[in-house]
Parts: sequence; structure tokens; C-alpha cells
Amino acid sequence: MPVRMVESPAPSNSSGANYGQTCLQPCSLLSVGQAFSGTQNVSSPQKDEAWRVNVRIQGCDLDHGYLCGTMEALNVPMADTPVVTFWEGEIVDTKNYTFFTNKWKATSEVDIEHWTKFPSFSPLLSQVEVDGGKSLDLSNYQYIFMRWKEQYFVNVGADCGLTIAGFYYVCFSCVDGSINGYYYDPNSSPFQKLELKTTNEGRSGFSFSSYELQ
Amino acid sequence: MPGSASTTHRPEGLIERLRSAAADGGEAKLKVLRELKNQIIGNRTKKLSYIKLGAVPSVVSILSSASSSVDCLLIQCAATIGSFACGVDAGVKAVLDAGAFPHLINLLSHSNEKVVDAGARALKMIYQSKAAPKYDFFQHKNIEFLISLLDKNNENVTGLGASIITHSCETNNEQKILADAGVLKKLINLLQGTTSQRESSLESFATIIKQNPEVITKFVGPENSTTFGSLLELTKDRYPRTRLLACICLTLIKNATSSSSSSYLQSVGIRTKLILVLLELVDDFGQVGDEALFTLSSFIEHEEDLQKLAFEANTVDKLCHQMQKESLQAKRLEGIFTTLGSLCSNLEPCRSIVLQSPKALIIITDALTHTTTDVRVAACICLKNVSRSVKYLSAGHFMTEAVIMPVIQLLYDASTSVQVAALCTVSNLVVDFRTHKSLFIQSGGVKQLVELSKSMDSTVKLNAVWALRNLMFLVDSRCKEEIFMDLKLFPLTRLISDSNACVQEQALGLVCNLVNGPVDSIMYLFTEGLLLNTVGRELRRASKPQVLVQAMYVMCNVASGKEFEKEAVMQQLVNEDDNNQSIIVTLLQSDVASLRTAVVWTVVNLTIPTGAGALARVVKLRNAGVVSQLKNMVNDPCLDVKLRVRTALGQSMTFGDFST
Repeated sequence: MPVRMVESPAPSNSSGANYGQTCLQPCSLLSVGQAFSGTQNVSSPQKDEAWRVNVRIQGCDLDHGYLCGTMEALNVPMADTPVVTFWEGEIVDTKNYTFFTNKWKATSEVDIEHWTKFPSFSPLLSQVEVDGGKSLDLSNYQYIFMRWKEQYFVNVGADCGLTIAGFYYVCFSCVDGSINGYYYDPNSSPFQKLELKTTNEGRSGFSFSSYELQ
Repeated sequence: MPGSASTTHRPEGLIERLRSAAADGGEAKLKVLRELKNQIIGNRTKKLSYIKLGAVPSVVSILSSASSSVDCLLIQCAATIGSFACGVDAGVKAVLDAGAFPHLINLLSHSNEKVVDAGARALKMIYQSKAAPKYDFFQHKNIEFLISLLDKNNENVTGLGASIITHSCETNNEQKILADAGVLKKLINLLQGTTSQRESSLESFATIIKQNPEVITKFVGPENSTTFGSLLELTKDRYPRTRLLACICLTLIKNATSSSSSSYLQSVGIRTKLILVLLELVDDFGQVGDEALFTLSSFIEHEEDLQKLAFEANTVDKLCHQMQKESLQAKRLEGIFTTLGSLCSNLEPCRSIVLQSPKALIIITDALTHTTTDVRVAACICLKNVSRSVKYLSAGHFMTEAVIMPVIQLLYDASTSVQVAALCTVSNLVVDFRTHKSLFIQSGGVKQLVELSKSMDSTVKLNAVWALRNLMFLVDSRCKEEIFMDLKLFPLTRLISDSNACVQEQALGLVCNLVNGPVDSIMYLFTEGLLLNTVGRELRRASKPQVLVQAMYVMCNVASGKEFEKEAVMQQLVNEDDNNQSIIVTLLQSDVASLRTAVVWTVVNLTIPTGAGALARVVKLRNAGVVSQLKNMVNDPCLDVKLRVRTALGQSMTFGDFST
């Protein structure tokens, strides 16, 4: 007998001053070892350009709203080899981090300007404008919002002519593991779009791996 | 020009005179006792020498035969016996063997306060040694006697009472007997006394409350404001040892009650002050400073908030600076590594400071070869916690010869505690996300891990398998093959079926990582067809959810392979001849969300519509009741499960809705 599927509700407001929000639920597609591939559009008014990008999740700590991994840019014009960077992510769980960045040269206006580019953000907008989303309960929302900040170059020197000064506004879909992002750096082309999809590395299905630190 | 010493001044001569004095009596006794006492005071070598020559029985013989009216002789005997017992276990043993104990106890009821004092002092020396007899607190008269000691207006007598407690109180029952008898209150009253009384009382107080929330809740804590207030006040005492002991008591109170509802020491102000007091004491390079480090480590060990406070008080900088001092004693090094380890267990900024400190990592790795076992363990645990940083692991910070080689050496250490600490450290280091895992493999690390995974010691075995599991995480194909060759099939199947569920969990995690990555990796599971059968058997047999989760992810990874691999998983999970409920349905009904997630992912992989056998598999799964069960789960409380159930149902329905 078919059962009607309940559509994912819009995130609810927590009652009263109960700001000790619950953590986000784990999403297996955003766990350590998972790989994603796609492109980053780095077009400028002079030239259309996109770099192929691979991402691998290396660490995830939902209690602390922390995610990290590597990002590999494959056809970077001025680099002889693929350029790998290590990034750390802040998960907007309204407990550890809100939608307001409060650093990296991002004002709340810049934040809203970028978050609103994600259609899944629109139900949250009005509350985010009030308090950065602090009173939202996102624990059952099908999308996870994050900021990814590259920390260092893994395989090339810092003098490689590339910059990692900016950061990404990221929206991850728990439904299919797709990732959309926008790079923000006041000194780079605005709204460089990152589009990634989960990869299955030649398999006919999904595969998982794990480690546990002691 | 020095002349030759006369025989009477040599130990043998003194012993001769002592023996004859013991036999003859008179004034000579006092003189020879005084001479002996003066020779041995503070001189360990002479004490041992006279003990060897049999001096102690002669002194005890004089004491036993002395008339109770010859006070000065009694005092000299007690003082000499006390001196033999002071700081030398062999001396305590000699004193006890010579039967001095009851005679010294008798002195406590003497009418002359000076005799009492000398007797108490000697007994106190005995009770400060591990060789002293254990006091029986279960005898009512013994408790009465103990309380009478604590009630005396004599520093050495109350000190004796406190020493008896510190030496003999070990079990929770003993702690309770003493607390119920009002001993804690008496010890608190003694805090108003001399420095010596304060310190011995604080030590006994710590002994009675140690790891005993029941006693603490009943007798200590903020509602007993005098006790709590006195302890807090003593953290500001002018004497460092008193401040330290007060901090130890407050740490014990906090640690024993931190998991209960009535947890004490919640005030951030008090917590910060305590950390600052301990940090100041760390500047003392003697015993107080050493103990302050261990107390600080114990105070912050299990609470991230406290670690943050200690971090904000610049503890990491201070310790990194201190560890660079030359010729540090083993105890100090152990204390520094233990405290740094606690700080780095959770906080990334602490790890960053350690790793950016110019010499810290070198000093820690150097200490891995220290001659003292406890230092090796502490350095290893410190390195383990520093390496909990994915950021630095990813940068390949630890997979260098300078770090890896000494850690691998520790896997061969004669001490099991060192081996376990090294295994835990290796577990972290080998996560290394870059392509440097080969360094560990080429250095012989895998062979020893495999060896230790066969250990009879369950902790060694567990941690060895854990390290192998982490080593297998995202490892390249060549290394994977090398590890598998070293590990071999049968040991792996044994580990999956181990009697310890934690070993099973890690072993299955290892297999899961083995068959992840390039699709060819799945073939490892089909070597002689054994491994998959073993995993399937554990899925039907195991009860611990974590074991089932790992086993199911092995199935899931195999089911992401080719058609025959998916079919092999079907054979393990769906037996059409069996009338019992399918294992998939059973596990889908689990209360554990992570297990339901793993099962649904497996079903997702089995029902991917593109494969030639997909329809047949969907029909089998439907017949086994899996599709019906999935339909019951479309509103699963776990979002991850709910979303995967939708995918699995969507794929199943590609072949038509079977609901009719």
C-alpha cells in the first residue's frame, strides 16, 4: 500500500530564548571519505573559464559544527599540476555558527547577498535578517549551509600565484549530495560558482569508508 | 695528618657498645643511643649500614626493657627508631620485625607529653612508608583510638592519626566508615592548626573523599560551607604545599561529582582561580610543582570548558616553554606531557601552539625513547592527542621518519602500557590523508600491527586492529595489497568473529575500508569466498549495533560493485528458502538510526535499476518483505534514513508498483 511521503517541513523557529539548539543530524553523504567532483566557474568579463574541481571530506565533527577536507583544482592555467588546498568548514547549525560570518571581510549584507543565491535559503531569509538565524532549528532541514575557508596549499607553495584569501558560501543537499557554492573574496571576481556532485568512483552505487581518531 | 679512627667510633664499635648497654643498662644506654641517633639522622647510607649490623633489635630491646619512669631513655629510643624508619623502607621493616610497634603504641598513653610526642613521631614515620601494616578501620575500637589521636592537642599525635588514614584507607567502605565516624569534620577542624597539621589533614581528607561521590555529597560541598570555604581559602595559603593539597581536594570533589546532578565547582571564577593557583605552583621545580601538573591535568581532563579556561590562562605556552629547559626530571616531563595531552585532547588551538612551537614536537618525540616507562607513555599519549588534528594530519605533519620511527619502536616495547599508548598514537598518525602511508608500511609498522592483533591481551589486540582499520582508510591500491598480504585472510576472519565486540567492530571497519575505493578492491572479499560469508554470519549473529553497522556497510560497499557482487550480497541477506523474517527487515526495524541508514544504503545499491539483475533483486526483496518495510519508513524520524528510503523506494518502483 503506497504511503504518502511527508514533505520536508520548513525549518521551525525554536520557542522562547532556548538558543541551545540541537546539532544537525548526521548525513551519510557528508561523511568522511566522501568525494565530490564538478566545476568552479572563474569567468571574468574578459573570458569564460571553469576549473574542474574534486573535493574530499576528511573530517567531520557535528558537535562543534566543523567539517574539513581537500579541494583539488585540475586545469588551473598557471599551474603545472593540479592544485590541492586544505579547507575547514563552519557548519551553520545555529549553535556553533549562524548565517552571519562576522569575519573574512564579509558583512551581514554580503552574507545575505550570497545566501539568497541558494533557492533553499529563501524560507529562512526573514528570520536570518532578524538574528542571523540564531533562533532557527535546522536539525531536520534537507539542506546544510556552510562556509568553507581554504587554509593552506597542500602540494604547491604559497607563492604559486594563486590566492586562497576568500571563502565559499556552501549549500549541501542531503537529498542527493550535491553541493553548490559561491566564492567570496572582495579582490576576486564576484559570485564564482562552485557546483559539485557526489562521485561513486566507477561503482554502481554508493560506498563508504571511515576512521576513528583515538 | 689524620690519624686512624678508634674502633669505638666505627659502626662495629658502636654496635658493640649498644649491645652491651642493652644488656647492662645504666647511663651508657642513653649515651650510646644519642650517639647512634646523631650518626643516622638524615644519612641513608649509615641507616642502611647500621640496620645491616643489627642495631635496630638492640634499640627496641632497650625500649622494651626501659622503665616507664625513665622518660629521657624512652624518648631517645623512640627518636632513634623513628629515625631508622624515616624515609627508608628497609628501616621500617627492621623496626617492625624487631617488634617495636606495640611499645611505641604504649608510649602514646604515657603521662609525659614529650614521651607521647616522641612515640607519635616514630609511629608517624612508620605510617608514611608503604611497608607499614594496614590499619583495620572495621574494628570499632580502632576507630575510637584513631579519633582519640585526632582529638589530641599534639601536632605529632594528630599527624599520626592523619598518616594512618592516608596510609590505610583504600576502599569505598573504609572511606564511608571514616566519614560516618565524623573523621572528616575533625580533619577540617585541624585545618586551623599548624602548617604540619594542615597538610597532613588535607592529605587524609583527600584520601577519604577520593572517587567517592557518596561521601562528598553527604559531607562536603557548598552546603557544608565551612568545609568548602576552608578548602577554597587554603588555595591562597602562604605555603605552596598547602595550596597544592587544597587544590587536590577541590579537584577530587569536582571530579567525583561532575557526572552527578549535584556537581560542585561550577563557578567559572573559582575554576579559573584554581587553574591559576596550580599554574603558579608549576613554577616550583620540586615535588610540589610536579604534583601541581598532575592535579591540573586531572582537573581539566574530562571537561572541554575547563580545558578552554586553562588554554586562556596560557597553560600551553607555559608548558611548551618549560619543556625546553634542560635536564628536567622524569616526573616533571611526565607531568608536562600529561597536562599538554589533556589540553590537546579537544582543542585545536592548543594543538596548533604545540605544533608551531619550534621545539615542542622534537622534545615530545625524543621523549618516546626516554628510559622511564611513565615518560614514554605520557609522551605517546601527548603525541596521540596532538595528532587528533585533521588539519595537521592532512598537511602530512606527522608522517615523517622523525615521528614515525620512534613510535614504531614503541610497538616492540616490553611494557604493555607503552605498547597500548603507542598503538593509540599509531591509530591517529596513520590516518594521514596524503600519500605517505607507504612510509609507515615500509618501516615495518604493518607487520608489527598484525603481530599485535594476535595478542592475548584484549586491549593490545583491539588497538592494533583499530590502527590497521585507520591505516586502511583511503589507502592507495598498492599499499592496500601490501597490508592485505601481511594481514592474510584467516587472521582477518578470526578478528571479525572475535569474542570481543569492540575488536569485531574495528575489524569490520577495516574490511569496509578494504573494499572501498577502486571497484577492484571488492575482490579481496571474494578470496576463497570466505570473508563475505564471515561478515554475513556476523550480521545474523551479532547483537551490538556498532558491529552490525560496520558489517552492513561492508555489504553496502560490496553491493556497489558489479552484478555478481550484488548477487553475492543478496545471497547473504535474502534467503528465499528461509521462512523466518529476512535479516534486512529485522535490521530495518532497529532502534539505532545509524544501523537503519546502513541497511537502506545497501538496499539502494541493490536496487539501482541499471543492472541486468536489478528487477530480479527487487522482486526478491519485495518477497522478503523489504519493500513493505521501507514503505513503513517513509516518515522515519531520522532525516538520513527517510531520504535514503525515498531513493530505495523510487528505484524499486521503477519496475512497477508492487502494491497491488
